[in-house]
Amino acid sequence: MHIPDGLMWPIIMAIGWGVAIFALAIAVRKEKTTMTNEKVPTMAVLAAGIFVAQMLNFPIVGGTTGHLLGATLATLVVGPWAAIIVMSIVIIIQGFLFGDGGILAMGLNLVNMAVVAVAVSAIVLRFTRKIKTEASVFSAAWCSVFVASVVCGLELAVSDMMAPGHYGITWTVSIPMMAGLYSIIAIGEALITISIATYFLRVYPALIQNARRAPEVAT
Amino acid sequence: MKKIRKRVLAVIVVLVVFTIGTVGYWIFSAGMPDGLERTMENAGVGELEPVYKAPLGYGGDYPMYVLMGAVGFFAVLISALGIAKLMAKKNETQPDR
Repeated sequence: MHIPDGLMWPIIMAIGWGVAIFALAIAVRKEKTTMTNEKVPTMAVLAAGIFVAQMLNFPIVGGTTGHLLGATLATLVVGPWAAIIVMSIVIIIQGFLFGDGGILAMGLNLVNMAVVAVAVSAIVLRFTRKIKTEASVFSAAWCSVFVASVVCGLELAVSDMMAPGHYGITWTVSIPMMAGLYSIIAIGEALITISIATYFLRVYPALIQNARRAPEVAT
Repeated sequence: MKKIRKRVLAVIVVLVVFTIGTVGYWIFSAGMPDGLERTMENAGVGELEPVYKAPLGYGGDYPMYVLMGAVGFFAVLISALGIAKLMAKKNETQPDR
């Protein structure tokens, strides 16, 4: 879901940068007051793990592939504010070092994958507290990818509306295709996230900070 | 000491899983577009010229892909470690209110 340069309307990209910087600044501000030395290596290994996990694409239908986004996993392990920082570090290294996603479009990539996906994960995890942990994690992971893809589809549609034929993709293609493909990719995301979360809960329950039913899964 | 060993083990496990997982990626998924690329293809959006040329790429074969994965892994690990450490340090030097 890494948007390349030249695809989006420049104003949308500028707005993306504004939103991304604003969200990242709040995340850093919030996290600065709670960050402990204990959390440092966990955040680092988590970010590096998400980076390599994003390299492992899996096939879905019709010759299309998807990969783990990792927003829900990051939210579960370090909480939403730190998760925004973790996801941002991954996306920035991918862009600057490997050319994955455009530099000008990086603001939008940060918004979609580090802000929207983490926010959706945190909200769904919060509102599904009373259901079984696996179902809660599955819902959060699925929704995080699905909503992020729909937001990306909307950005493409708005770009097309503002500069038809120059930027973006018409909404009749962008929104249904992004939503359709990523609704399937999101199932992969949910299954991988559940597998990793369940493993963590068994071997190191304290790691899943926000999963409030750790002992139940561990048994 | 036990904690350091645990973290080193976590790094090794992630890299081993990645190396094995890359085999599957290379057999089943390499060269195929992801969801956004497929959407762009269907909409007739061609290759776009990048504004910035990145110094590295993911490589065109299995060994290079694994190597680049390891390079990226350590780049992210060191960056995240530095940023998080800086935040933790600032937090610890702030007086209690």
